[in-house]
Amino acid sequence: MNLQFNEDQIDALREFMNVSIGAATASMANLLDAFGTMHIPKIEICNSDELADKIQNSIDIRSMYFVIKQLFTGKFGGECMFVISEDSSINLGRHLYDIENPSFDEVNDAVIELTNILTSTIVSRLTQELNTQVQFFVPSLQFLDAASIVSEEDVGEYSKIIIISTILDFKDKQIKGNVYILTKDEAIASLRGLIDRKIEEIYG
Amino acid sequence: MKILVVDDSKIARMSVIKSLKVVHPDAELIQATNGLEAVESYKKERPDVVFLDLTMPVMDGYEALKKIKEIDKEAQVIVVSADIQSEAKLRVLVAGAKNMYPKPINVEIMVQIFEQDILL
Amino acid sequence: MNVIKYPDILLDSLENGHMIIDENYTVSYWNRWLAINTQIDKEDIIGKNLEDFYPDINYKVLHRKIKTALTIGTPTFYDTNSSKKFISINRNKVTTSSLQLMQQQVTISPYIISENKVMISIYDISELFETKLLIKKEMNKVNKLNEKLEAEKEIIDKNIMIMKTSVNGIIKDVSSFFCDSFNIDRDEILGQNISIFKLDDVSDVIYKELWTTIKNKKSWNGELKYITSKGQAKWFQSRVMPILDIHGEVHEFNAVYHDITNEKLLAELYITDSLTKLYNRAHFDETINLIVKNQRKADSEFILVLVDIDNFKVINDTYGHQVGDEALISVANTLKSSLRDNDLVARWGGEEFVIMLKDTTINEAKVIVEKIRANIENSIINNDIKLTASFGFTKYILGEDSKEIFKRVDDALYEAKEAGRNRAVLK
Repeated sequence: MNLQFNEDQIDALREFMNVSIGAATASMANLLDAFGTMHIPKIEICNSDELADKIQNSIDIRSMYFVIKQLFTGKFGGECMFVISEDSSINLGRHLYDIENPSFDEVNDAVIELTNILTSTIVSRLTQELNTQVQFFVPSLQFLDAASIVSEEDVGEYSKIIIISTILDFKDKQIKGNVYILTKDEAIASLRGLIDRKIEEIYG
Repeated sequence: MKILVVDDSKIARMSVIKSLKVVHPDAELIQATNGLEAVESYKKERPDVVFLDLTMPVMDGYEALKKIKEIDKEAQVIVVSADIQSEAKLRVLVAGAKNMYPKPINVEIMVQIFEQDILL
Repeated sequence: MNVIKYPDILLDSLENGHMIIDENYTVSYWNRWLAINTQIDKEDIIGKNLEDFYPDINYKVLHRKIKTALTIGTPTFYDTNSSKKFISINRNKVTTSSLQLMQQQVTISPYIISENKVMISIYDISELFETKLLIKKEMNKVNKLNEKLEAEKEIIDKNIMIMKTSVNGIIKDVSSFFCDSFNIDRDEILGQNISIFKLDDVSDVIYKELWTTIKNKKSWNGELKYITSKGQAKWFQSRVMPILDIHGEVHEFNAVYHDITNEKLLAELYITDSLTKLYNRAHFDETINLIVKNQRKADSEFILVLVDIDNFKVINDTYGHQVGDEALISVANTLKSSLRDNDLVARWGGEEFVIMLKDTTINEAKVIVEKIRANIENSIINNDIKLTASFGFTKYILGEDSKEIFKRVDDALYEAKEAGRNRAVLK
């Protein structure tokens, strides 16, 4: 299977991500009263066995992390993963629950809530740009050390993965997290098809 | 009519141009891929309207907007951005943009821009 | 397009809870599942405020989630692992009590956005959650066991000599203690054949017996003499076990060794004549008494030989005791080298030696004794001294005691001396 992207396809995907991230930032300002910035997204295509390294390289390996994974399915399907450090999570819990010492459950729920807004907005905005629809699944949350976020055994068989990543940063609240949108194999080909259709529509 | 379209993304420029061609099929189109190119192009070409993105390499759209307004305080700049937070809009309006619209621009918005924001 | 005629029936038949509320928490729908599980009837709650029934819900959070669902147009979720319940519902499960309250998955989906209405769906995930808890509990047990096992493994590794070999004797693994005892690096011996530890002077009989036993899928116990990397010979009490695969075939051997070198040295000292290094009289007595006592046919086919050096007193008187001792050692060595591996030879006292020729006929004994006699006669001690010896020998008769056979062999020796020495007499 040819899973390469040409320059125009990468350009389009990056632009759609920019728009989606812009929407997500606005959603968070609107719904969580948190005014943050999101970095320009990075798009990488790699082999499944490189994923663990790529993620570990983008975070501080000494911290513990809340990792929220949410599946979405449709013509564009994959996994949206949000990785947020313990410290940032507690700050988020403080902000959303308006208390000094949020409980573990409250921190969990705050993280789920943020992720919900983030992934829903990014993915639905992205799919809107791509003229398609997706179904979301219940997010799962884990509390892990950096090395366990992606275990090589779990990634299993050899696949190509597309990683779209960005950093979310609420400077005034000291909350920072990494967003990854992961898609593999057939779903990459399907995504490329959607991008081509959109390019055709705009250029044609 | 001369129109300058500034964005580092090709599809974003094409998207603006697509709507422009519906509203003003005869307009002369110039493109730039970052703020610095936009400023140089403005000096040379003196376009009637500028469509300007904010997040760009080399020089961002906000800097370019200020430079263009220094060259020509009558310059008509429409900012088109993925950043849709109200602070960003306030900032560019203060800097002299005619208006700011979220990406992507469609034909209806383009019509609205030429009816409400641009003086020809 | 077909319109579903009775959506209420549809929602009532679902096995999860569904309610519709607006952003002020006014309830406009309450399905049957909720009515049954909460004991609040539809009629009692519709049109009322959820806050009146469930004041403990964090409405600030709920409000934000409703707003999120309405704004983004996608479902929002509560943390499924949370110990806080959205609305508390008792569980009636009796057999397990780990969850008193229903564990819920709560999804808030946009219903009619223009009316600010959302549908809250409640799924019972108690079974899943219980399974999760159970797995966690079992994992903790497994981890604890593993820790214990690791600790025990380390104790074994550091204190017991263990070796694993393949079916053809290639060393696959050894414990640290084995390496320490043999003064060898683990990496050096992995992949080598077990025979690198074999000593040349140990008879093959024992190894053959060992291999036959374990190849027949039985464990072998016994003493083995091995050589360490420093060339030191060591004795090991050994147990070699064949490990069978699922088809019942031997696929490797495990051996456990215990160093008995010191015990072995002490025991040898106890049964050895200090001058000649032959066995001493006590050991010979013990051996022959055991045979006589057991009366096993296989052991009883032996010839007893008594050897006495001729005119030994003259050597002592002429050359001194030191040369006399040398003569005794020389004769002892000649005896040993003239005999077979499993014959037994001991110093009987003074210049007398005793031999047990095992599993031997009288005719064979005649040849052997003559060979010994000739070997002694032909050996030269201290460059110029020559010796001879006299021999009495006799066959053991089943049923007799050791006194009887010794009396006979004594008589035979006496006759040999009387007849002029340097000869053998059979009785």
